[in-house]
Amino acid sequence: GVAPLGPAPLQREHQFQLQMLEAAYYHLPHPSDSEKLRAYLPRNPYPLPHYYPQQTLIPHSDTVEFFQRLATESLFFVFYYMEGTKAQYLAAKALKKQSWRFHTKYMMWFQRHEEPKVINEEFEQGTYIYFDYEKWGQRKKEGFTFEYKYLEDRDLN
Amino acid sequence: DRAMGGPTSHIHSGIVQAREFDDPQGLLEKTEYLLREWVNIFHSPSASRDPTKAFSVFVHQMNVHGILKTDDLITRFFRLSTQMCVDLCYRALADQNSSTPVLVRTKCFHTLDAFVRLIALLVKHSGDASNNATKVNLLNKVLGIVAGVLLQDHEVHLTEFQQLPYHRIFIILFLELNTPEPVLEVINFQVLTAFCHTLHILRPSHAPAFAYAWLELVSHRVFIGRMLAITPQQKGWGMYAQLLIDLFKFLAPFLRNAELSKPVALFYKGTLRVLLVLLHDFPEFLCDYHYSFCDVIPPNCIQMRNLILSAFPRNMRLPDPFTPNLKVDMLQEINHAPRVLSNIASLIQPASFKKDLDNYLKARAPVTFLSELRGHLQVSHEPGLRYNIKLMNALVLYVGTQAIAHIRSKTLQPNMTTIAHSAHMDIFQNLAVDLDTEGRYLFLNAIANQLRYPNSHTHYFSCTLLYLFAEANSEAIQEQITRVLLERLIVNRPHPWGLLITFIELIKNPIYKFWNHEFVHCAPEIEKLFESVARSCMVQKAQ
Repeated sequence: GVAPLGPAPLQREHQFQLQMLEAAYYHLPHPSDSEKLRAYLPRNPYPLPHYYPQQTLIPHSDTVEFFQRLATESLFFVFYYMEGTKAQYLAAKALKKQSWRFHTKYMMWFQRHEEPKVINEEFEQGTYIYFDYEKWGQRKKEGFTFEYKYLEDRDLN
Repeated sequence: DRAMGGPTSHIHSGIVQAREFDDPQGLLEKTEYLLREWVNIFHSPSASRDPTKAFSVFVHQMNVHGILKTDDLITRFFRLSTQMCVDLCYRALADQNSSTPVLVRTKCFHTLDAFVRLIALLVKHSGDASNNATKVNLLNKVLGIVAGVLLQDHEVHLTEFQQLPYHRIFIILFLELNTPEPVLEVINFQVLTAFCHTLHILRPSHAPAFAYAWLELVSHRVFIGRMLAITPQQKGWGMYAQLLIDLFKFLAPFLRNAELSKPVALFYKGTLRVLLVLLHDFPEFLCDYHYSFCDVIPPNCIQMRNLILSAFPRNMRLPDPFTPNLKVDMLQEINHAPRVLSNIASLIQPASFKKDLDNYLKARAPVTFLSELRGHLQVSHEPGLRYNIKLMNALVLYVGTQAIAHIRSKTLQPNMTTIAHSAHMDIFQNLAVDLDTEGRYLFLNAIANQLRYPNSHTHYFSCTLLYLFAEANSEAIQEQITRVLLERLIVNRPHPWGLLITFIELIKNPIYKFWNHEFVHCAPEIEKLFESVARSCMVQKAQ
């Protein structure tokens, strides 16, 4: 190394600091320490072979356009398993763009299978496709009443 | 500590109270019970459905147990809770072997996050809705308590110290208190102030085993965003600059020796990354505080300093330094002084020296001032530690700015002619001649630290350095000027604009007879180096 002024012996306090820093090196912060708790997908860093993609995010993968290219099932996965993240927000946005509507009581996404048989101020009724997060698949429901008070209709901006 | 007014007094009293152990009987058990209750409530499904109700139920419980009766009891409750959270983490981390790292952390976060939410809710709901002082005081108190527990833990555990619980508490609390809610938005600046004070108290030189977590906190994107971008009128800049100065001061003694152990190298790498982010996103911030930063960065940390000196205001277009026949004198920007947010004049101490300096600048007499100058700067005889670097830096910049003002007062512009034959140049020439190698190196570095984007300081000091080269009475001075410029250019990018301009002028303009000097040809590798630099500067080698 280059030390134009020559090395200066470390003072006692600096020796102590160095010793403590060196000890702290064995208790380094983990990426998850400064993130909200990920209940389902905790971070689990692992050394990957160099020929695998190292970057977790491919460019522009944090846009609605990218999320719209994902399969519906992927969007449901992101929605239920990545709570409170930007990804969840983008997944919800992409689902809405694909005419899925969130039911706040059942906590499930519904999509009209046909024009509703009844539409009034309070509800609409007809056949719907919905995503059952417990059975993890799409189901059809005939004669379902979607009460508008359970419709999540906030503008996602 | 008592004398300290304002928010820091609450932090300091919290730190002091973290060392009290004469708790009333039964308080420990009560706290343990309540904390466990709260952790359960926090994670229960009903709490996520109706958080307000869950909180009011819990506050009622705290009331029943008499915790909220006095400030003293609340303080003790927070201290005991913090210690319990910390103990839990130590136990979980000690258990690493029988569990996976992910599970260990999940377990820690389970309790820590609940505790943090409790702090955030108590801060938000303390006092009346409009009583901001109560909320801010409570926050400062709690931060002080956590900091106090940390410092004590640090003293007790030493090399076994674990940063995790404190890191988690600070960052999650910071994020919670920066969510978009009206009640939090009105106190946002006080929240930032509270965290900055706390981080300053916990700076790496005070709590070195916390250093990595500290750096993560200071460089967290939300923290940087709040401090430098979102808070209006750059009100957070000064506080953030202080934290960076804390960081550089800590690193200085280790970097100076250029022998980096792995832990220091990692910490240094993190520091460079923070600087790169700042250079890219907040160059004006680095511009404004470049002086204070360079003052604490050791002279041999070339790249770190280049990162700071390369910053320039985003609205500015820098002319390509390699443009043939670039006329720096014609640039509009060189008439404008850069912002320097340090009071340079006040750094020139003692006051009697400052008075003599001003007298000399005015009267260009007595000559004894020049011969005594070295004595003011030299502080010891120990090699490598001979000079007061801060005084050298202040002196150089002060004399330079005075010179610019003096030239302007004669309705002239600084250039190679107007800067000569003045009290100011007497001082610079005297320093160049009279100082030993070490002193001259520091002196020339102080000048080179002003070679940045196009502004009046860059232009003045560029002319000054070239003038000192041209007028040097010995090759040693010229060699050293070349050395200082060259060593800042042979490192990886970025390179400050003014530095390139000055060096290109030196090797290009025949008046300096650069290529005739012996030190250019002293060794084949040096000669090759100069040739490659010359080639990269795209100029014809003057024969």
